[in-house]
Amino acid sequence: MSLNQNPIFLTQKRLVHRSGVLAAILIAALIGLSLLSGLIAYLADPRGFDFRSPQEAGKMFYGWVIGVEILVLVIGGFSRISSTLANERKAGLWDSNRLTPLKPLDLVSGYWFGSPLREFYMGVVLAVIGLVIVLLGRLSFTFWLETQILVASTALFFGLLGVLMGLTFTRPQGLLILLVIFIVYPFSFIAPSRMLFNFFLPIYGIAHLFQDSVDPDDDWNRTPELFGLHLDPVLLSISLQLIIGIFLWRAAGRKTSNPFQSPLLRREAVVLFGILVFIQHGLLWGLWRGQFPILVHSQNKFYDSESMLPMVQGGTMLLGLVVLAFASPQPERVRVESLRLGFKNLGAIFPRSAVWLALVLTTVAAVALLMQCFLSIAYTWKAYVAAAGNLLEFFLIISFLLEYCRLRFRRRALGFMALWLFVLCILPFILGGVFTTSALGDMSLLSPGIKALAEQFTNNTPGPHGLDLHVADENVLLGMVGAHFCIAFLCFLLWRREWMRLLSKTSSAAPAQ
Amino acid sequence: MSSPLLVIEHLRVDFPEVVAVNDMSLTVCSGDVCGLIGPNGAGKTTTMRAISGLQESTRGSVKVDGHDFTREPGELKKCLGFMPDFCPVYEQLTASEFLDHFARAYDVKDRARRIGQCLELTWLTEKRDALCEELSRGMKQRLVLAKTLLPDPEVLLLDEPASGLDPLGRIELRKILLQLRDLGKAVLISSHILTELSGFCNTAAIMERGRLIKYGNIAELGQKTGRRRVSLKWRTDGDKALEILKSANVNNLETAASGVTFDFDGNTEAIDELLKSLVTQGIRVSEWRDLSDDLEQIFLQSGAKELM
Repeated sequence: MSLNQNPIFLTQKRLVHRSGVLAAILIAALIGLSLLSGLIAYLADPRGFDFRSPQEAGKMFYGWVIGVEILVLVIGGFSRISSTLANERKAGLWDSNRLTPLKPLDLVSGYWFGSPLREFYMGVVLAVIGLVIVLLGRLSFTFWLETQILVASTALFFGLLGVLMGLTFTRPQGLLILLVIFIVYPFSFIAPSRMLFNFFLPIYGIAHLFQDSVDPDDDWNRTPELFGLHLDPVLLSISLQLIIGIFLWRAAGRKTSNPFQSPLLRREAVVLFGILVFIQHGLLWGLWRGQFPILVHSQNKFYDSESMLPMVQGGTMLLGLVVLAFASPQPERVRVESLRLGFKNLGAIFPRSAVWLALVLTTVAAVALLMQCFLSIAYTWKAYVAAAGNLLEFFLIISFLLEYCRLRFRRRALGFMALWLFVLCILPFILGGVFTTSALGDMSLLSPGIKALAEQFTNNTPGPHGLDLHVADENVLLGMVGAHFCIAFLCFLLWRREWMRLLSKTSSAAPAQ
Repeated sequence: MSSPLLVIEHLRVDFPEVVAVNDMSLTVCSGDVCGLIGPNGAGKTTTMRAISGLQESTRGSVKVDGHDFTREPGELKKCLGFMPDFCPVYEQLTASEFLDHFARAYDVKDRARRIGQCLELTWLTEKRDALCEELSRGMKQRLVLAKTLLPDPEVLLLDEPASGLDPLGRIELRKILLQLRDLGKAVLISSHILTELSGFCNTAAIMERGRLIKYGNIAELGQKTGRRRVSLKWRTDGDKALEILKSANVNNLETAASGVTFDFDGNTEAIDELLKSLVTQGIRVSEWRDLSDDLEQIFLQSGAKELM
């Protein structure tokens, strides 16, 4: 169904126009024209400005236009879509629309393109003024086109994310994206060309296009490498957004046709997790080429390569946490399935629970990590085992706690889950800081893998090629990995008890067949 | 014989702590208006949501005009109209725009004419250009009813349709329902206010705690109990009438102004005899009504509790 025939899109368009678009368009025009007038003033009399050339002035003013566009289209569009959907779900209109014969993906596209129309109009006005700035600043049309494509694709990507958020949460989640960007943004400067989120946000692509420097060591100036293969950053960003977007699109369609389902099928979740983890390791691949911790490239003056793998390890854990939360079925759904199919034991619960998914995610992440050190595994195997073991215990604990909290606390599960995560992951660091002892920090669930990869845990074996390696206290690290497995076992007992309780209730509730 | 348009078999819906609908089987045929009766929390709304696919069922099957939700959701949706117990409307759209939205979604042919018809049927023609936010609750209720009727569905699920309507609106709703019945639609209508349903439901399904405890033709349901509830009103000689009734062994005698209601165990001839003896002994009877097919009586005798 084309958008012009899509009743959801037409109604959203009607609603947007009825609530007024002129003021928003005028605001965008005023901002854009202010920036344009600045460039015109520079071109008329350059003496009052610090720019070295019209190109530099053009880039500066156009950069502001792009910044406003991102704010309007990405953040504004995301929050508009998610709040529209959350409000319509609350009002019952979403259900009314679901009852019509419209296909789920028609519903999704109607909201995706319809509700942020005001933001789209503002974006078009800014883009047109941006084009004038680019031309006056004697910059190339392709520069404008590439930046606009990146902004547009990011807006669509986040719009789709907004659809999914609106379908999943009952309250608008506009602030969430700001929080994520706020947290992620500082990290993007640590190693611009080697961080995955710089490509789907797409900080690197835009910054790379604006880059004036010719310094080959400047990380903003290089083209990113994926497993040693140089790629165009704009193409990489768009490809990444497209791949993840396909998963989001399918998830939104699935959530529309059946809101009780998990948005991601578990095989999709595994594939998505695998793609992201492997691409991230692919971006880092050029540093060690399978010989971690021996640097193949010379040390880059802009970042410390030692921090790369720990950051990726932390990011992998965070990503796994999100995937587990979104792709594991609600226990209630498993219970209903147990009623439907008549299974009454834990053996049947296991393949349907988050625990199975945790094991698969660990395998994927462990294989991806192995790529960094498979040529040097002879002396880094302990570091590798500590990191992979840490991934396993982290994902297992998360999956056990996730289901335990959902079963035990139901609507309050999220709060209790956050509490557990805080106690297991963050609190030890805080206590370590308060009591100025790193031993407390080592107790964190995040600590062993990160530390093993950061300090190149090598069992006191001198590194080859004369590398000066830090040596971590292996007893502490191994002890912590072991202690965390004890916590995982306790979590398993809690998880098992709740499931057994639910299954016994289910079997007593089931009518005689 | 009328054909079954809505067939529910062994429907079960589970909520975390409760079985909301338990092993429910029900058939509503063409030309049937079935009253789904039960106290608050009996599972009426959940049943309707499960039929429409808004609520996932644990087991059981629902067929609407022969279409199964899992196999032909699109076809099923085309022949099903669901009116929820609240009024989901786009506040910033006019009444006709709101209907136009759903007419497009249902791919209704000749949209403008059909929208006009539905507005007229729900007495909203004058409000066609009014914004939904300007409509009263009853008007919004009627607008949602108009939306439900828009695609001319074969099966209608109406959840507490009269809850926001004024007395005139309720009378008009009754007329619409009778009209739909005459058109051969199958209507499943829920309410916990039984007087709303009296008069136009020809079948009734009584639910309690998720279970269907009674279901069938209203006349048959009234007679299944064996005991009849009778309402008697007189113009004179009330005391004498009471004496006659007591001597006739009636039960649960409830007196009211110029009349009584009572239970009577006996067949049609016995009850005719009782009336005859009252008249022959000089009681001037102004009303004699058998309440056996009264929904309220059927409900009370069904054993369902907590009627609100």
